[in-house]
Amino acid sequence: MFSAKNTEKEMIFNGIPVSPGIAIGEVFVANLDELSLSDKKIDKGDVEEEIRKFKRALKQTEAELKNIKAKLARDIGEDHARIMDTHLMILDDSTMIKETEDYVRTELGNAAYALDIVLNKTLESFASMDDQYLSERAEDIHDVKRRIIRNLLGQAQEGLKDLRRKAVVVAKNLTPSDTVGFDRKYVQAFVSAIGGSTSHAAIIARSHGIPAVVGLEDFTHKVRPYDNIIVDGITGQVILRPEKSTVKLYEDARRRFAEMEKELLTLKDYPAVTLDGREFELSGNVEAIDELKDVSSHGAKGVGLFRTEYFFITRSSPPSEEVQYRYYKDVVKEMAPECVIFRTLDIGGDKIADWITNVDEANPFMGWRGIRFTLSRKDIFRSQLRAIYRASAHGKLKIMFPMISVIEEVRAAKQICGEVKEDLLKERYKINEDVEIGVMIETPSAVALAPHIAKEVDFFSIGSNDLVQYSLAVDRGNSRISYLYDPLHPVIIRFIQDTVNAAREEGIKVGLCGEMAVSEGALGVLPLIGMGLDEISAPSYLIPEIKKIIRSVTFDETRTLVKKILKFSTPHEVRELLSKYIKEKRSELTEFIPKVALDK
Amino acid sequence: MNFVLKEVTDKMKRAQVKVINENGIHLRLAGELVKNSNKFKSDILIEKNSEQINGKSILSVASLGAEYGSELTIIVNGQDENQALDSLVKLFESGFSEGEK
Repeated sequence: MFSAKNTEKEMIFNGIPVSPGIAIGEVFVANLDELSLSDKKIDKGDVEEEIRKFKRALKQTEAELKNIKAKLARDIGEDHARIMDTHLMILDDSTMIKETEDYVRTELGNAAYALDIVLNKTLESFASMDDQYLSERAEDIHDVKRRIIRNLLGQAQEGLKDLRRKAVVVAKNLTPSDTVGFDRKYVQAFVSAIGGSTSHAAIIARSHGIPAVVGLEDFTHKVRPYDNIIVDGITGQVILRPEKSTVKLYEDARRRFAEMEKELLTLKDYPAVTLDGREFELSGNVEAIDELKDVSSHGAKGVGLFRTEYFFITRSSPPSEEVQYRYYKDVVKEMAPECVIFRTLDIGGDKIADWITNVDEANPFMGWRGIRFTLSRKDIFRSQLRAIYRASAHGKLKIMFPMISVIEEVRAAKQICGEVKEDLLKERYKINEDVEIGVMIETPSAVALAPHIAKEVDFFSIGSNDLVQYSLAVDRGNSRISYLYDPLHPVIIRFIQDTVNAAREEGIKVGLCGEMAVSEGALGVLPLIGMGLDEISAPSYLIPEIKKIIRSVTFDETRTLVKKILKFSTPHEVRELLSKYIKEKRSELTEFIPKVALDK
Repeated sequence: MNFVLKEVTDKMKRAQVKVINENGIHLRLAGELVKNSNKFKSDILIEKNSEQINGKSILSVASLGAEYGSELTIIVNGQDENQALDSLVKLFESGFSEGEK
């Protein structure tokens, strides 16, 4: 059994900081099966004890499975509960038990590692099966394996949503389904092996104000459940099994960070206006109704991006129109009189729902996603649009389409909106017939087509995360090439400026709802101010920081900066210019640029 | 994970069966097969393309990948081998009560 005591030397790792803040706590390993189990050998004299431990874990797993079976029988009926009989039989498989015990006896492997070796041999044969239905059953075996190993390692929790103690969550990767339904009060920080600054884990962490560091491949091989850990989301440092003096140092840093946050919150009721009088609308990025309270408490007005996909991903089938209507209605009512911009289902890429089958794409981020998905599943699209239009009777809302790359998509989506409205009126529903329709500008083709698209819609919202990904051809989750993912690249500034110009030409509003506004603290938001966007939308907890920056500069100064940036060819020149500006003219903003807290 | 309990000889009782279930011998059916096999004292092996596995291990049966139309051989050896063979052949012939194709 792994010891909870820290007897080993402190280890320092450097990753990509993606959500600021400092956490000091104990490790909770999510996706345990994806991490390397320790192949540490046991002493010959400990063989029988190791086998007893294995048998205890089997019994514990059996009890868990029987509990689940009883619960299923109560909730959905005996017939469905019988599925657990198969899991119980796997647990009781004499061949599996014998081979695992043999491995422990002959190879002196620890039981978790032995079981992993034995079951992986079985799973390999599933991988080579031609029949998809048969090969997919491997997931059941994986599930039983995970349970036994968790019990062997003394980590009984099933997943992040079952976490019931304060912990730092460590995983190879955190997908949307991993993070759905987790309890914010238990998760102190995220650390993942893969991912860049716009990976799902990063976005979720920022939207909940949880410190996070990603891209730490080596780290996940060294970490063990219950290890003590420090996560510095400002510098990207992660310290495993820290010494007492290091903990002390970080406790001080954590206190200083909390004080700064508190001070920023005092700006809550002030407008986001520059020193020379240019006002910006600041709104929140939200993905669940319980986050709405953070929008107003952090001084944002309305929701600039309401992500609807999480409402779909958390279910085993798409939610009905009625269920969606009630949800969207609650959202607009809670936000009233402010406006909520609903982004229609943006599924695909790394956001895959269990109910979508046959998705096996070589390039999912350039595949069947966003508007492409909804236009090919009009049943789902219509029911979502019907629900949104019905909710429009209860408050102020707008509709926005994601991943537009050609103008035909805008026209097709608008046509369906028109049909849906007509149907609802015929059915005598009360709706707002003038709901504004906008699109996300997040592909290079949408930027190039912006002057044309602007004639078709009421507003633009620049999705900077994907715009960076597609413009620079960088998979945003790939840590090997994350150095190329750069919101401060002059290409991105140019594309945003082109989009703003196109919107101005047609007299429509333009906002930005990506993560660029918070890229590298003050540096990311400065060009956005200078380009004169109407609205900036960001995770709620970062709104005070953006407001502070807007209130510290003049529009004229930032506009001059943008003019210079548009002549540059490298992000290095952009950084140099912006840093120099802050150093010389607005030194009070340096506190927003990450500093190395621990220099070892 | 496919170990043979005892050496297979020509003298052992055997029968050819065909998988008539549309989705093959998936995990639940593997469970059914094992449940049936465990009613007997005899050793029970299932052979597919000359690979033999233990018919009393759900993981071994499931990992065989017996899809629709596969031809399998059931090999039995022990005191109640006739009853065992008869019972398992009937199970395959009935399509594990999933409905015949």
